[in-house]
Amino acid sequence: MKKIFRYFKSMALLELLRGMKLTFSHMFKPKFTIRFPEERTPVSNRFRGVHALRRYPNGEERCIACKLCEAVCPALAITIESELRDDGTRRTTKYEIDLFKCIYCGFCEESCPVDSIVETNFHQYHMENASERIITKEQLLAMGDRMEEQISKDRRKDAAYR
Amino acid sequence: MNSPENKLVQIEINGITTQAQAGSMIIEAADLLGIEIPRFCYHPKLSIAANCRMCLVDVEKAPKPMPACATPVMEGMKVFTQSRRAEDAQRGVMEFLLINHPLDCPICDQGGECELQDQAMGYGRSVSRFSESKRVVVDKDVGSLIQTEMTRCIHCTRCVRFLDEIAGTSEMGGIGRGDSTEIGTMVARSIDSEMSGNIIDVCPVGALTNKPFRFSARAWELMARPSVAAHDGVGSNLYYHTRRGDLMRAVPRDNEALNQCWMSDRDRYSHFGLRSDARLSKPLLRDAKGKLQEVDWDTALNAAAGILKDSGESLGMLFSASAFNEEYLLARRLLDGLGSKRIDSRLRESAFADDATRLEQFECPTAEISTADVVLLIGSNIHTDAPILGHHLRQAWRSNQAAIYALQPRAYNYHFETAATSVVNPQAMLSSLLSMAAALGDDLESADLPAQIISAISSATADEFAQDTIKSLKAADNPLIILGNMANSHANADFIRILSQAISKSLNARINMISAGGNPTGARKYGAQPAADGLDVQQMLENPGKGWLLWDVDPELDFDNPAAARAALASGNMVAVGSFQSPLVTEFARVVLPLAAVAESEGSLTNFDGDRQPLSPAGKAPGMSKPGWKILRQLGSLTEVEGFEFIGLSDLQSTDEFKVRDNKELDKIAEVTGLQRLGEVGIYSVNAECRHTVALQESQLASLAAISMHPQDIEKHGLQAGASVCIRQAGENISLPLQADSSIAIGCALLPAAITATATLGSAWETIKVEAK
Repeated sequence: MKKIFRYFKSMALLELLRGMKLTFSHMFKPKFTIRFPEERTPVSNRFRGVHALRRYPNGEERCIACKLCEAVCPALAITIESELRDDGTRRTTKYEIDLFKCIYCGFCEESCPVDSIVETNFHQYHMENASERIITKEQLLAMGDRMEEQISKDRRKDAAYR
Repeated sequence: MNSPENKLVQIEINGITTQAQAGSMIIEAADLLGIEIPRFCYHPKLSIAANCRMCLVDVEKAPKPMPACATPVMEGMKVFTQSRRAEDAQRGVMEFLLINHPLDCPICDQGGECELQDQAMGYGRSVSRFSESKRVVVDKDVGSLIQTEMTRCIHCTRCVRFLDEIAGTSEMGGIGRGDSTEIGTMVARSIDSEMSGNIIDVCPVGALTNKPFRFSARAWELMARPSVAAHDGVGSNLYYHTRRGDLMRAVPRDNEALNQCWMSDRDRYSHFGLRSDARLSKPLLRDAKGKLQEVDWDTALNAAAGILKDSGESLGMLFSASAFNEEYLLARRLLDGLGSKRIDSRLRESAFADDATRLEQFECPTAEISTADVVLLIGSNIHTDAPILGHHLRQAWRSNQAAIYALQPRAYNYHFETAATSVVNPQAMLSSLLSMAAALGDDLESADLPAQIISAISSATADEFAQDTIKSLKAADNPLIILGNMANSHANADFIRILSQAISKSLNARINMISAGGNPTGARKYGAQPAADGLDVQQMLENPGKGWLLWDVDPELDFDNPAAARAALASGNMVAVGSFQSPLVTEFARVVLPLAAVAESEGSLTNFDGDRQPLSPAGKAPGMSKPGWKILRQLGSLTEVEGFEFIGLSDLQSTDEFKVRDNKELDKIAEVTGLQRLGEVGIYSVNAECRHTVALQESQLASLAAISMHPQDIEKHGLQAGASVCIRQAGENISLPLQADSSIAIGCALLPAAITATATLGSAWETIKVEAK
């Protein structure tokens, strides 16, 4: 008896209709997907994306090669080499971040005494060769130069909570 | 009366009862118990200043907190280091110290290894209450070795006390009072002590830091690798701080018997020379066109082995005196296997007639030098020969009131006072020694002395200096005679050694010979000096064979007689193993093999005290350079010599060979007329590593390319100080500026050896002619 009942129920395609009901109901609801890259989702000012090295308004790089970020980095993603610059200050000769090692924890930014290394809200990047995962000081500074406006805006927004 | 040394008193620190030596300070008792008391100015090896006030502790019944470093323990004393009152005092002092100290640890080179930073974590406030402007002090330029940042100074005066008490140069002091106190050099000049680098270690803050190392690494990145210095035979213990295999800096490693907690600048800075562009990193082979070409190890080793085999019994091995024991041992095996008898490591010496009796070199161990009460220094600027021995001798003078007599060709600037000094030209040093032997009279043990010396003594008369010295040495409980590098490289060094040995034996005095090089004891012990029937360096250069093996030797700068070396090395096929390029090697060598430096390879060094100190590699060797024992092992197996079948160094290290030599013919004491050359080897010219260290070469102690004479001599020869003069020595001419220096004995001229300017000249101790241009 039970067998016959199940047979007719399956012939009536009830499950299918129930599923289609859900599908059709979504046709009238607002869409979650966006048309990337023309459209972008809003990003929090605290988002921790790819790194950048900042400069002072006079163009001088902020980083003083204190290596606190290198020391605090839990993934050992940062490599720094430093030397004495002619004006008597310590500056980096090499500042590299391995983006494959990085876990985007933000400790480097937390530890920086001069707000030099930051994690920007930019996260839409890719690389085609494995070797490109290591970003150099020049790339980091260029990133800082390009995004300075956004970086300082985000930092100002968060200042009240720090 | 109870002597204070062995009386113990009972005290209580933080409720723990302990026994402390009467007269010792609370901080010492607390350190023994492992109770931490913060301190800045206290240093166990320096006098007590009690001026930082950081170690204030609470003492029962005392009306106010007492400085633990300057409060002697008393019977029944109760000390509280962590009571409310003690902590309040310590926190208060810390706040005051931080008022004028910059709070910018991230840009300070001391950050991470700073005593002030550490203590501020425990005793400082998290936020400064000080909003007024801070004190700024102008940095002093104290030379090429030490960087100052005087704004960071907290006036603990450790550096001042170090230079006063240990180095003995008193070059720093406090100027001004109260808020305007500044620590600086007394007369605004560089700090020229040969131990100056130690003020970097004693400085608790970042006011004094290592200049060549500046800003190149942070303390927490560095690995400390224990090692031994190889610039003098003391074998000072040190740590190389390395980062990813690179030597970044050197700091002392405590060894009470040798360097205590100190280190000479030569040991501290010379490793910077290993980064020089002149380092060899690839094997080179001379091609058919006569040009050195880079080749692989196999080709180079085969070519080298071919030359060694071909030379056979006429192969001459010239070794640096700073190589490893194992290298000497293997070289001796290789030499014996090839049937040659030519090996020597005493390249800066020229008189070897006493080889048989020259055995016990260092009778008074380094640690016991400070117990000597009368010391005779013969031809030794002990502070440049071996700075650590200079330190121990200064302690003998300071704490044991030792009377020090010095016989020398130049009034050296010793860091102690001498009881009497005799400054005479090199040849007159011999007559001075003869006069001392004559002053001994019947006490002289002349049984073993050669006939010509006995007759020379009998015709000598004892002068006042000789009589004083001998009288004083005779009366001493613990007399010591020290022969320096100058005495050993003297043209009649054999006479000097025989006479000094006779004098020491007759007086029952101990004798210490400071031979040049980082491992002279090992070189002698492990066979890098000729056996009885062997040829010494002098004879080898006079009768060059078919082939040469040079081991870490710069033929231009490492020989007593560079002109003779050049002539000898030009004939015969040369295999040069070394760490640095050198012009003559590039000119003559058929094969050049790159050698890892002492700090970069494995082996052992034997110090003056006879202790064998093993080393493991601290840094990585550049390019394709190899440790010496590996090169020798391969040369040994390629030449099919026995004894090279071992795998690791440990298989080797049990062997201990010792060769005794027969007497060689002693020359007559020559009559010398004319101006004698004082060919001193400067403190920073001793080996290629030091010579390639820019910071050391820029310091005040580095050898100047100049000739210096006594003003009277300058007048006598009709010359003018400051002018450039022409110097002639055995057919070679050079011209150098002439300087007046009244510390130099009359009848001689200081013309340093081991500098490029004098590399074409002959022996460092010949006569020279100086003419106006």
